[in-house]
Amino acid sequence: MKIGVLSAAVIAMAGGAALWVQAGLRNGQLTLAGRGVFRAVGRTVLDGSLPIDGQAQQRALDGFLDRVDALIRALPPHAQDELSQLLATLASAPGRYLVAGVSTDWADASTADLAQGLQGMRISGLALKQQAYAALHDITAAAYFSDAATWPVLGYPGPLQI
Amino acid sequence: MTQFPDPIHAGLSRGWKVLGGRYGAIPEKISCDVAIVGSGAGGGITAELLAKAGLQVVIIEEGPLKSSTDFQQKESQAYPQLYQESAARKTQDKAINILQGRCVGGSTTVNWTSSFRTPGETLQFWQQKFFLKDYDADRLAPYFAQAEQRLNMLPWLAPPNENNDLLRRGAARLGIKAAVISRNVKGCWNLGSCGMGCPTNAKQSMLVTTIPVALDLGASLLTETRVHNFEIGNGRVTGLRCGPVQPNGAMDSASATGESTLITARHYVLAGGAINSPAVLLRSGAPDPYQLLGRRTFLHPVVLSAGVFEQPVEAWSGAPQSIYTDHFLHTQPVTGSIGYKLEAPPLHPVIFASLVPGIGKNQHALLQDFPSSHALLALLRDGFHAQAPGGRVHLRGDGSPVLDYPLTDYVMDGARRALLSMAEIQFAAGARQVLPLHEMATPYTRWAQAQTAIHALPMKPMLTKVVSAHVMGGCGMAGHEKQGVTRPDGVHWQLDNLSVHDGSIFPTSIGANPQLSIYGIVNRLAQDLCGRLNGRGTSLI
Repeated sequence: MKIGVLSAAVIAMAGGAALWVQAGLRNGQLTLAGRGVFRAVGRTVLDGSLPIDGQAQQRALDGFLDRVDALIRALPPHAQDELSQLLATLASAPGRYLVAGVSTDWADASTADLAQGLQGMRISGLALKQQAYAALHDITAAAYFSDAATWPVLGYPGPLQI
Repeated sequence: MTQFPDPIHAGLSRGWKVLGGRYGAIPEKISCDVAIVGSGAGGGITAELLAKAGLQVVIIEEGPLKSSTDFQQKESQAYPQLYQESAARKTQDKAINILQGRCVGGSTTVNWTSSFRTPGETLQFWQQKFFLKDYDADRLAPYFAQAEQRLNMLPWLAPPNENNDLLRRGAARLGIKAAVISRNVKGCWNLGSCGMGCPTNAKQSMLVTTIPVALDLGASLLTETRVHNFEIGNGRVTGLRCGPVQPNGAMDSASATGESTLITARHYVLAGGAINSPAVLLRSGAPDPYQLLGRRTFLHPVVLSAGVFEQPVEAWSGAPQSIYTDHFLHTQPVTGSIGYKLEAPPLHPVIFASLVPGIGKNQHALLQDFPSSHALLALLRDGFHAQAPGGRVHLRGDGSPVLDYPLTDYVMDGARRALLSMAEIQFAAGARQVLPLHEMATPYTRWAQAQTAIHALPMKPMLTKVVSAHVMGGCGMAGHEKQGVTRPDGVHWQLDNLSVHDGSIFPTSIGANPQLSIYGIVNRLAQDLCGRLNGRGTSLI
């Protein structure tokens, strides 16, 4: 697996070869590290659309992560490889900080801090950060709203039964 | 349980020869008269005509055979099953998201039925710049007419849904002429789920028209089977190698280690579509003496504008595209600043949530307005100017194709003008809010405010949301060998027994939704090919 340009940039800025101990995907499925990144991204991107109640929100995020897995399983190998590298980079402390501007563990970061980090990526002058943002945003939106249970949030009644 | 008879299940019961995927392994060697790569717009038309002419045809399709029973009107199923790369194929810099079909019927199984003949100014440009002297509207007219009749293309007579009517009303307020789109449907239920496969078989895609005719006449169809490469020797194709693919498009491990099926034929027709057809030829090491292969790949890059209205719009419901305007294609010459065609796209939950920019509560506010949300799209007409030369197809290390399509300032200037035009139309139609799909835009509540803001937006890739549903070029035709991969009759300039019959032969973008251009032009190419192969005349109707 070749190191992506983003990962190489992070390694260089972190001052040498960082140890990527955790891949983002394994066999086309999110690893624990990958799930950690997407759980944090999900609760930030979907803030306002997720259930407010704590337990209901956790269940919604669990379902969301399962759908992210299903979405990833359907991606071609080259896209899975790129996503795996992106998630590995973000899961690492230097990557999380340099790319997303997040200095705490993903699980501990406040939604406000995560939102600020994602906004920075979104309008960054660095194409690599914009690409990373777009991947996280689009996968999150597609995976979450592919489930009929989320459609009331959109006011979408579902397809006409024929 | 569907109430609609499934024509594919019925055909399989009649004894259609279908292999691959759940239909059983394909044999190691196959021999036939003509091998057709791809079952989309070009492959389908070719298969029907050649089978009618009595030729033994094998069609090789990398996507699955899915039919009306499978079409549940759900994006979660449609995108991974029916589209290239789960509807997330992207250009090399990730700036453009490409929608292309990957299933039996190709993009015609998932398109929005819009039917336009190739515009006159496009044909004139081809005649002048690419020496395609037989590509004039009068000579092509009978071939277009046959395709229109065969596929039941008629102006959509039902009232446009609100998402389309807002384009009509807004344009009318500004003195801009809009017109009704013709659609290839028969007995349409006005559902709006065309992009997920038609569940009622009203859409006259290749899946329910030409492919069944070919199969009833004895053609064979290999599904979930990708052509890896042609074998080439002494200036001719001597065979093609293909193997099974997994549902996510990965080559089966057996194929990867060299176990594949060899198909030999008298003639080969490549109809995998743009990006895919050049990829097969690149993997084959096909002769390319003037380095044209894969270049001049066009996308009709699309930018979008989302409006919110007081009344319900419900852009998921009703025939998805029924109104268009070509006004902005004619405000300057075809070789001047880039023109654009305006249409309305349907909106479903996944595509809407992915397109709407932003995160958190701001994005939620936009998502909540889904039932009153309206969208317009602009198809930018690329390929007619030196600064819109399109993109180039490359191969990755694993042999999969990627399109490198830089968005030039010339194209992005057109994108800005298109955002302005769409916002003005949406406000004229009564929008209470308009949001150009750009990461730095915010919802504007008045046209004057939007106009100022759009003029100040940095029109850069990635910041500007750009998508494509029309991929064209890469094996362009020309009357001179130095300008084309293919000859005006669709035959490869350097390989006499190989034809290319799909949208990759277009020397420029079309300037209109391309399906009918492919049907009509391939109709002529395939009829001529039949004549050369066995002298028998054949016709679509």
